[in-house]
Amino acid sequence: MTFMKIVIIGNSAASTAAIETIRAEDKDSSIVQISEERHPLYSRCLLSYYLADKIDKNGLAYRSADFHKKMDVQLHPGRCVEEVDPAGQKVTCSDGSAHSFDRLLIATGSSAKIPDNIPETLRGVFVLRTVADAEAIKQKLSGAKKAVVLGGGLVGMRAADALCRAGLKVFVVIGSNRILSRMIDYEAARIVGTRVRDNDIEVMTGSDVSEVLHKDGNVVGVVTDNGLMLDCEILIVAKSVRANTGLIRNTDIKTRRGIETNASMQTNYENIYAAGDVAETFDITTEEYTVNALWTCAVQQGRIAGQNIARRDAAGIPAKYAGSVAMNSLNFWGIPIISFGVTVPEDESRYTILKDSRPEQNVYKKIVIADNRIKGLILVGRIANAGVLFSLVQNKMDVAPFMDQLLGDRFNFGHVVRHGGKPVLEKYYRGLST
Amino acid sequence: MKRIYCIVEKCLACRSCEIACAVAHSGVERVEDAVKIRPLPKHRIRVESIGDRNTPQGIRSIALQCRHCEDPLCAQACITGGISRDPETGAIVNNPDKCVACWSCIMVCPFGVIVRYEDCRRAVKCDHCADRDEPACVEACPTRAILYCEAEDAPIPVE
Repeated sequence: MTFMKIVIIGNSAASTAAIETIRAEDKDSSIVQISEERHPLYSRCLLSYYLADKIDKNGLAYRSADFHKKMDVQLHPGRCVEEVDPAGQKVTCSDGSAHSFDRLLIATGSSAKIPDNIPETLRGVFVLRTVADAEAIKQKLSGAKKAVVLGGGLVGMRAADALCRAGLKVFVVIGSNRILSRMIDYEAARIVGTRVRDNDIEVMTGSDVSEVLHKDGNVVGVVTDNGLMLDCEILIVAKSVRANTGLIRNTDIKTRRGIETNASMQTNYENIYAAGDVAETFDITTEEYTVNALWTCAVQQGRIAGQNIARRDAAGIPAKYAGSVAMNSLNFWGIPIISFGVTVPEDESRYTILKDSRPEQNVYKKIVIADNRIKGLILVGRIANAGVLFSLVQNKMDVAPFMDQLLGDRFNFGHVVRHGGKPVLEKYYRGLST
Repeated sequence: MKRIYCIVEKCLACRSCEIACAVAHSGVERVEDAVKIRPLPKHRIRVESIGDRNTPQGIRSIALQCRHCEDPLCAQACITGGISRDPETGAIVNNPDKCVACWSCIMVCPFGVIVRYEDCRRAVKCDHCADRDEPACVEACPTRAILYCEAEDAPIPVE
C-alpha cells in the first residue's frame, strides 16, 4: 500500500501530534480530519488564562493559522461523527456525509460531567472545556458579582482564579477534603489553600451542591448538602470528565473508562487507533489501565499513533508507548506546583515516603518510593529539576544510591550522571530525552 | 546540528559561563550594567558537580545547558505550542510571547536545564545565542572546556 486514506476525528493535542508525525513520514496519503469544534485549533489548557484576560483570543492558538493547509489536511470543522463502521471502514457524520478510511484515529477527547441535579439549560450554568464556553462565561461576567465553582481540581481552581481576578466573589464547593485532591496531598493543599484564602476565594470541602436556585431561567444561587445557601449568578461545573465515546456506541470497539488501547495505540481493530482523553492507557506508576486526560499524555499518544499510522505495511517495529503518568504543573499566584504519579498511596506501609515540609516558606516536597523506584511526587514552591525526577520515574531508575539527596533543593542532573556514568552522559550529549 | 559540549576534564567550575550567559541575554553588553537590571538577568547554563573526593574519578564538574533534543519533551508538554524547533537552525526555541509560565516544560525536561524566570513570568533556556557568532559561554570559558560543534567533533564518551 503506498497511498492511504487516513481519517482523524478530533482537533486538539492528540490529533495535532498525530498529523505532524504522519506528515514527517508520509507526504502523499490523504488526511481527512473531522471535528465538532468550529473554532480554529487552540489549546484547551489556555482557556482559564483567556478567561482571566492573561492572554487574548489569538493567544489561544496552538499552531499557526495555516497549520492544516501546510500539513495538507482536509479539515471539516463543526461536523460531528455519528457512527463508525469498523468492518466497512467508514465514518458517517451528522450531516449525512461519509468518509472511508484505511486507517482511523479516534481523538475525540472528553467532556465535563454534569451531575443530574444541575439543570444545564439554565442561564449562568457553565463548564469550561471550549472557546465557546469561555466566551459565554466572559459575556456573563459584566454585571455578575458572585460565582460558585463546583469542583476543586485543576480546571475548577483555575476557573476560580480567573473569576476572582475579574472581581467576582468566588465560592468553591469541593467533594473531597482538600483542593487539587488528584494532584496533591492534604499537607500541600494546606499551603496552597492559604494563598487561595489570601485572595479571598472561599473554599468549602467535603460538600456538594444539592440544589440550584433559579429565577426566570437564570441561576440565582445554590444550596449545598450541608444546608448552606450561596447566592451566585454564575455556576461553573468542573467536577470530572468523561471520554467522548458516543460515536462508537454501536460498534464492538472495546471500551472501559475510555477506548481500550495497546502500546501501539491501537484499539481491538488494528487499523483503528485512539489517543488522548478518549483513550485508556497503561499507567506506569499505578500499573493499571486508566484514562490520564492530560495534555502531555495526549501529545505523546498522538505521536505514537501517528508513527504507527504512517507505517505503510505491517512490517518493521511499531512505535511503542511507554505508558502514561498522571502529571500536572500549575502556577498558582506565584506558587509553582508539580506532581506526578502516585502522590497519596492507599497503603502507605508498602512505600518509603520522603518529605520536606516548610509551610512558612510555601515549600513542600514529597517523594513516594517503592522497591527503590520513584512512584510519584509532589513539589510545591521549589520545582527546579522536576523533570530530572520525572525521568527517574519513567526510566524506573534505582534511586537507592542517592535516596538521601532526592529531596534536596540542590538535587540535579549531576547526581544522575555521577551514578549513571558514561551512558547517562552520552544520552545527555546526544540530546536523547528518553 | 551544532550543540554545546562541556569537556568535564577541563571544567574548573569557575562559573564564568554562567555570568557570560546572563549578560548575553540581558540586553546590555557589560556585566557591570547587567547587574543593575531588575529583574536580574538569568543564566541558562549551570555548572553542577558530577563527582567529589568520594567518587572514583574525584572532583569533576560539568556546565549543563539545553540539548535541543531530537524528541524534545518540553515541546511535547508545552500547552501553548510556543516551544518548537527553529526550521533553520534546528534549535529548540521558546517563544516568549506565547509562554504563560505554566512550567510544564520544567516538569518534563530530563536534564533540568529550563529555568523559571518568575519575575518575567516565563521559562527561559539556552538558545545557542542565536544573535551571536559563537555562544557567550564558549567565548567566556577560560580553559576552553566548552565547545560549540557538530556531534562528530565532540568529546562524547562511549562505553
